[in-house]
Amino acid sequence: MDTDHDRRTGAFCRRTRREFFWEAGASFTGLALSGLLDHGFFSRQTRAADGLAAYVNPLAAKPPHFAPRAKSVIFLFMYGGPSHVDTFDYKPALYPLDGKTIEVKTKGRGGEKNQGRVVGPKWKFKQYGECGKWVSDLFPHIATHVDDIAFLHSMTADSPIHGSAMLQMNSGKIQSGAPCLGSWVNYGLGSVNENLPGFVVMLDPTGGPISGAKNWSSGFMPATYQGTLLRSKGPPILDLAPPDDMPLEAQRAMLDALREANTAHLLPRGDNSELAARIASYELAWKMQEHAPEAVDLASETAETQKLYGLDNPRTADFGRRCLLARRLVERGVRFIQLYSGGAHNDDNWDAHGDLEKNHTFHAGNTDQPVAALLTDLKRSGLLDSTLVIWGGEFGRQPTAEYEQGTGRDHNSYGFTMWMAGGGIKGGVSVGETDELGAAAIAPVHDGKTGFHVKSLHATVLKQLGLDPNRLSYFFGGLDQKLVGVEHVEPIHEIIA
Amino acid sequence: MPQSLVRLASMPSGCRRRWTAAWSGLVAVTTAATAAAQPVDFSRDIQPLLAKRCFSCHGPDTQEAGLRLDDAAAATRELDSGTRAIVPGDEAASVLLERITSTDPDLRMPPEGSRLTAAQVESLRRWIAAGAEFREHWAFRPVVRPEPPATAAATNPIDAFIRDGLAGRGLPRPSLADNRSLLRRVTYGVTGLPPTEQEIRDFLADDSPDAWERVVDRLLASPHYGETWARHWLDLVRYADTNSFERDGTKPHAWRYRDYVIRSLNDDKPYDRFVIEQLAGDELPNPGPDDLIATGYYRLGLWDDEPADRVQARYDWLDDLVSTTGQAFLGLTINCARCHDHKIDPIPQRDYYGLLAFFHAITPMANDGEAVERKLFADDAERADYERKLADLNRRRDAAQQAVTAIENTFRVAREREAADADTSDDLDDLQFRFYRDTWKSLPVFDELKPEDVGVVPGRRFDIAVAPSLRPDSFGYVFTGVLKVPADGDYTFVLDSDDGARLSVDGAVVVNYDGIHGTGDPRTVTVPLRAGRLPIRLDYFQWLHGKGLSVSWSGPGFEPRLLSAGKGYRQRAELVDAIREHGARILGAAGKRDYDAKVAALKRLKQENVPVEQALVVTESGTQAPDTFVFPRGNPHAAPAAERLVAPAFPAILRPQPPMIPPPASGAATTGRRTALARWIASPENPLSARVIANRIWQHHFGRGIVRSASNFGLMGDPPTHPELLDWLASELVAGNWRLKALHKTILMSEAYRASAAATAAALAQDPLNDALWRFDMRRLTAEELRDSIHVASGSFNPAMYGPGVYPEIPKAVLAGQSKPGNGWGTSSPEEQARRSIYIHVKRSLITPILADFDMADTDTSCPVRFTTTQPTQALGMMNGDFVQRQARRFAERVRREVGGPDGANTAAEVRRVLEIALTRPATDDEVARGVALVDSLESQDGVGPSRALELYCVMVLNLNEFAYLD
Repeated sequence: MDTDHDRRTGAFCRRTRREFFWEAGASFTGLALSGLLDHGFFSRQTRAADGLAAYVNPLAAKPPHFAPRAKSVIFLFMYGGPSHVDTFDYKPALYPLDGKTIEVKTKGRGGEKNQGRVVGPKWKFKQYGECGKWVSDLFPHIATHVDDIAFLHSMTADSPIHGSAMLQMNSGKIQSGAPCLGSWVNYGLGSVNENLPGFVVMLDPTGGPISGAKNWSSGFMPATYQGTLLRSKGPPILDLAPPDDMPLEAQRAMLDALREANTAHLLPRGDNSELAARIASYELAWKMQEHAPEAVDLASETAETQKLYGLDNPRTADFGRRCLLARRLVERGVRFIQLYSGGAHNDDNWDAHGDLEKNHTFHAGNTDQPVAALLTDLKRSGLLDSTLVIWGGEFGRQPTAEYEQGTGRDHNSYGFTMWMAGGGIKGGVSVGETDELGAAAIAPVHDGKTGFHVKSLHATVLKQLGLDPNRLSYFFGGLDQKLVGVEHVEPIHEIIA
Repeated sequence: MPQSLVRLASMPSGCRRRWTAAWSGLVAVTTAATAAAQPVDFSRDIQPLLAKRCFSCHGPDTQEAGLRLDDAAAATRELDSGTRAIVPGDEAASVLLERITSTDPDLRMPPEGSRLTAAQVESLRRWIAAGAEFREHWAFRPVVRPEPPATAAATNPIDAFIRDGLAGRGLPRPSLADNRSLLRRVTYGVTGLPPTEQEIRDFLADDSPDAWERVVDRLLASPHYGETWARHWLDLVRYADTNSFERDGTKPHAWRYRDYVIRSLNDDKPYDRFVIEQLAGDELPNPGPDDLIATGYYRLGLWDDEPADRVQARYDWLDDLVSTTGQAFLGLTINCARCHDHKIDPIPQRDYYGLLAFFHAITPMANDGEAVERKLFADDAERADYERKLADLNRRRDAAQQAVTAIENTFRVAREREAADADTSDDLDDLQFRFYRDTWKSLPVFDELKPEDVGVVPGRRFDIAVAPSLRPDSFGYVFTGVLKVPADGDYTFVLDSDDGARLSVDGAVVVNYDGIHGTGDPRTVTVPLRAGRLPIRLDYFQWLHGKGLSVSWSGPGFEPRLLSAGKGYRQRAELVDAIREHGARILGAAGKRDYDAKVAALKRLKQENVPVEQALVVTESGTQAPDTFVFPRGNPHAAPAAERLVAPAFPAILRPQPPMIPPPASGAATTGRRTALARWIASPENPLSARVIANRIWQHHFGRGIVRSASNFGLMGDPPTHPELLDWLASELVAGNWRLKALHKTILMSEAYRASAAATAAALAQDPLNDALWRFDMRRLTAEELRDSIHVASGSFNPAMYGPGVYPEIPKAVLAGQSKPGNGWGTSSPEEQARRSIYIHVKRSLITPILADFDMADTDTSCPVRFTTTQPTQALGMMNGDFVQRQARRFAERVRREVGGPDGANTAAEVRRVLEIALTRPATDDEVARGVALVDSLESQDGVGPSRALELYCVMVLNLNEFAYLD
C-alpha cells in the first residue's frame, strides 16, 4: 500500500510501490504476488531456517486472545531495588524501632540473617487522594496520582541478588536464555508500526543494568523480538543515521541501484519470498531512517509539556525526556517500552547499601516529577486507558541495616512494592501486605503461595494486553515454553478494573 | 491467515521454531478434510492417548475387566465379558470403539475426565481398521541398513532413494545446477567461504569426469572445513567464552575447546571417539591433552556464580547438562521429564534422574582452579620439563626476594637506629638480643634452644629487626637487659605483638601474650615495681605473614613511653615509601640504584611464568557419587526418600543394556559413570546417535535435515521425509568407522546435492516445501559466512587459525548497554579482527552486532537450527554501520590497487572488478554500465568525491541479494 509519503519522497525508485511489485513480480506465483501487494507484506518476511514456512509473519499485528484493556506497556524500572518501607509501604511501627536490634529473618547480598539493627524509615508519610493512600515525602508528585494507581505491596521474587533478580523481573526466569516480557508481548501481539521497533529500552545515562543485553534479550526466540536500545539524544537507534559522507541523496541512489539489481536477481527465482522480503527490508530501513528520528524529536512538544516533565530542571531533565519519549512512542504504537531509572553499579542506581537517604533522595528526586508528568499527560490525552504503566525494581530492601554503621539496607525479595496504573487497572487500590516491619509478604495467598510472585505480575500484564498467560506459549526444547512457566499462574484480579 | 499465530501457539510440534510449528499446525487445521489420507501413526497418535487415558485402569499395573492396552496380544485377547476390546481390522467388533463413543454414562470410557475428542476417536477407529499395529516409533527402533531401491538407476544410493520418492509422487528428477553455482554452493557449504578466482577457473576448465570429485576432496581437506563445521557443533553445545549473569565472567581457556572441535573435524576423528572424548575423555587411559580439553564440554553453559539458592542452581546446572546432552547427542528432549513424566515421549521422570546420575559427581563450576582447570602435557617428559623449569623459576624468585629483603633490612635497621639515636630516652640499658630460627605456633623455651645470633642491641629499645640474618618468616628473639625504674610505684605496660610475646620484669612475668595473632589488640597490665635497675626480658616469636612488636610503659609522673623500636614498617608499602624518601641518603646513591635494580629484577621474575597450556575440564569430587533422587515436581529441596533413589540408567525406551560401570581403580579421580554413558551413546547399537549426527550432516548441506526437528527425534519431532535414506546414511556412517568426511563425500557426490535451485511451476505447486527434494533449496549465508565474505571481498581476510578469542570493535552505542561499558571486551588489531568469525570471543551478554543481527545461535541453550530472519535493522547495519563502511573502504582501495590508474580514470574496470570479486562471476556489460552510472551519479552528490563514490558502490554491492544468497 503506497502512502503519500512514498510518493512525496520518491521511495521505491520513483515508482509507486504497486508498480514496483508489478514489475518485479511478473513471474511470481499468485500466492506470493498477492502477498506482496498486501499491506502487511513485510510482516511475512521471516522464516525458520528449516524452510517449512516460507512466509510467516513474526511482527505483523496479531489479534489477541481476547479483548485487550491495554495496547502498550511502559515499564519504569527502578533498577537496584527501591526501599518499599521508605516509599509506598507505610510502616509506622518501624520508626520507633530505629537503631534497635531485633529478630527478623532476612536474606540479601550479605547472606541470610536472623537479626539486625532496624533502620527506621527516613521519610515521613502523608495521606493522599480520595483513597487516602500513605506515600512518603520522596514522591510528592506521584502521590497526587494515587487514585489512578494500584499498589502491589506483597511482591516476591526468587532471588535477592541483582543479576538473577533482574533476569527474573524481565524474563520470569532466574537464568538467562529466556525471552523477556517485551519479547513475549511482541511475539503475542506483533507491532503496529513498521517504522519503530516494537520493544524499546531506554537506559539511564550512567549505563546499562548488570547483565546488559540479557535484560532485553529474546532468548530462544528470534532476534526479531529482542529489545532495541533507543537513545534519547543523537541517532536514536544503532546505525539509523548514515555516515556523514554518505548523504541521503547518495543513499537513495544506492538503494535504487540495489533494488534494481536485486529485482533482476529475483526474476528467475520468483518463488523465493525471502529475496523479495530482503528487497522490501531496505525500503523499510529507509522509512525508519526518516520516521524514527521524528518520534524522538521533542521540538513539537509545547513548552508547557516540556516543563511538566521537568525538562527545564537538570535533575529531572533526563528521566523527563525519556518519559516524554515513552508517551510519544506509545502514540506511535510501540508495544513495550522500558525505562531504566539508575544504571551501572552501587549508588548510580537504587541499590542503597551505604547511605539510604542520599541514594533515595537522589533517585526519587530525579524521577518523581517525570513519572507524575507521564501519568498526567497520558491521562489528559486519553492514552492512560490503553497504556499500562508499571513502576518497580527487581526487589525491595530490608527493614534492617546492612552494616554496623549507616542507613544502608540490603536487598529483599521476600516482600516489596510495585505499582501499576492505566490499561484497565483499578486506581486507588492497594493489595497485598508485608509484616509490620516490611520484611516479608504475609498476604494474600495467591496461586497457593503468600504474596504476589513476579510471575503474577507478568500474568497480569499479559492479561491486560488480551493475552492468556497460561496459553501464550512458544515451542522450544521440546516444551511449550511460557513466560509464566509450566504451572498455572493467575493474574492479580484484585487490581483489574 | 484464518488463525493468529498466538492461537496456534499452544499446538505442540516437533519443530524448534514457533511459526514453523504454527504453520504445520495450520496445515493440519485447514486440511482437516484431507486428514483421512494421512496414516495414523501408532507412536504419535495412539500410544500417548492410550497411556494418558486408559493405562491407569488397563495398563501394566492394573487390568480391570482383564483388559490391558499396553501390549498387542493382551489388548486383542478375549476379555472376561467374552468380547474383545480390539479386533484388528474390524471396527464393528472392537468393543473399545463402542465404549468410548457410548452416550450412556455408565458404559462410556474413560469413566472420568473429559470425553475423547472426535479426532481422537477417529484416530483410534482408523488405527483399528488398519490392523491395530502396535508399532514402535521409528527413531527408537534399531537402525537396519536398508537396501537402496533397485528400480531407480543411480550410481549414488542417495539418489536411488530420492528418485524413488520423486517417482512415487510423480515429480521429475531435478536438473543439475551450473558449475559456477555448484562451486560456490559447495565451497560455502564445506568451508564457509567463497571459492577463489583460481579455483573457479580451474573447475570450469576441467572437463575430466572426476572434476567434481576432486573439488569435493580438495574442500574436505581444507582446514576451513573444520572451522565451518565446528561452528555447527558449537551451536549444539551452546558454546560461549563467558558464564552469563551479573559478572558474565570469562571461562578460562574455553577457546581451547573450540580449537579442539576444529582440529577434530579436520583430522576426521571418528564421531564415536569425538563423543567419548567430550563426555569422558578424562576417564580414558592416559588421557592426552585433547582428551582433557574435550571435557570442557561440561563447562560451556551458563553458570551463576552468586546464586540465591545454591541447591536450585546446582540442579539447574545439571539440568542444562541433561538437556544439552540429550538434545545434542541423542536428539531427545529428556529435559521435559524433569518435573513429571514426559508428556509426549515415553520417558518417565525416573529416566531423567537416571541420566542426571551420570553427571552427579561432577564438581560444581568455578571461576578457576583445580575443579575446572588442568595443565596439559603431551607426555611425561614435557611434564618433567615443566616442573623443572617451575622449580628453577621459584629458586630464582626466592633468591631475588632475599636480595631485596637484605637491602630493605639494612635500610630498616639503619633508619631505626637513626630514629633511636634521635631519641633521648634511656629507660632500657645493657640490652642484648638472642636470635632464633624455627617455626613455632607458641613461644618455645628459648633458653633450651641454640640461638643463631647473639649481640648487643644498638639502640635502647626492643628491636625485632636488629639481627643481621633477618628473614621474612619463622624466627624468634629473646631480649635481656635492665629497666631503669625511677621510683617505687605502679607501672602500666602495654604490649602488642604479631605473633606471640612475653614480658618479664624483675624475674616475674608481667604480660603474657602468647600464640598466633596479629597486632591491633594490645594487652595492658599494671604492676607495682620498686625503684632501681631491674632485670627485664622479652621473648618474641613470629610464625608466618606479618610481624610487629610494640611495648610501652608509663608510671608515676610520666606518660607512656616506647620501650620498642619505632613503629616499624607494618606495611611493605610504608617501607617502600621510606626507602624512596631516605634510601639514597641511608644506602648511598649506588646502594639505592642497586636496590632499585634488584626490585625491578624481582618484579620481572614475578611476572615471568613457565609457559604451560591449560584447559577447561570436567572433574569429579571423587569415586563416590552423591545419591540421586527423583524430585517430585522437579523440586530439588524435596526430602530424599528411599523409594525415589535412582541409579545411573539410560532411557528405557531405547531398550539399552544396563550401564556397565566398573568399580573405580585405585587412585581413580572419578566415578567412571560418564564413560559408561559415553560408550553407550557412541555404540553402533544406540538407535539414535548415528541417525542424529547423519541427519545433522545432511541438514547443513541441504539447509534442513531429513528430520527437520534435528534435536527432537521423539514422537513430536517431525517425521523423516526419507526414513530409509536416513537409516542408510546412519548405517554407512557406522560401517565407515564413524568417519564424517566419508559421509560428507557420499552426500556431496549425489545428484541431489548438485541439483539446480530453480523451481518448476508444476513441482512447486505439488510440493511447495520441497520435501521430495526435486530441487536444491537456496539459502542465505550464515552470520559468520556473511561477515567472513565481506572480509574476503575487501581483501582484509586473515586466515590465521586457532588461539584465544579476538575482539571486533563494537560500537559505543552497543557497549552502552553494559553496566560497565567495555567491561570484559578487549581490543584486537584490525588484522586480528579480520580473522574468521568463529574465533570471535563469545561473550554471552555482548554479541558482536553483525552476528546477532544475522541470527547467530543463541548462546544459552542448545541450538540445532538457526533462524533466518529478515529485518530492516539488518539493512541499516549493512548500509550505515561502521563495519560495512570500513570494509567497503578497503574493498575500494583493493580494487583501485588491482585495476590501477588514478581515481575515476577507470570506473568501468573498477566496477567490473568489484562485481567479479563480490559475486565470484564475470559481470555483464549491462551491470557494469549500471554500476558506472551509479558511481557517476554519486559523484555528482554533495560531499561525494570519486574515491568515495567507488566506496559507496562497494557498500551497495555488499548488500546485493546475490552476495548474501546461494543458489
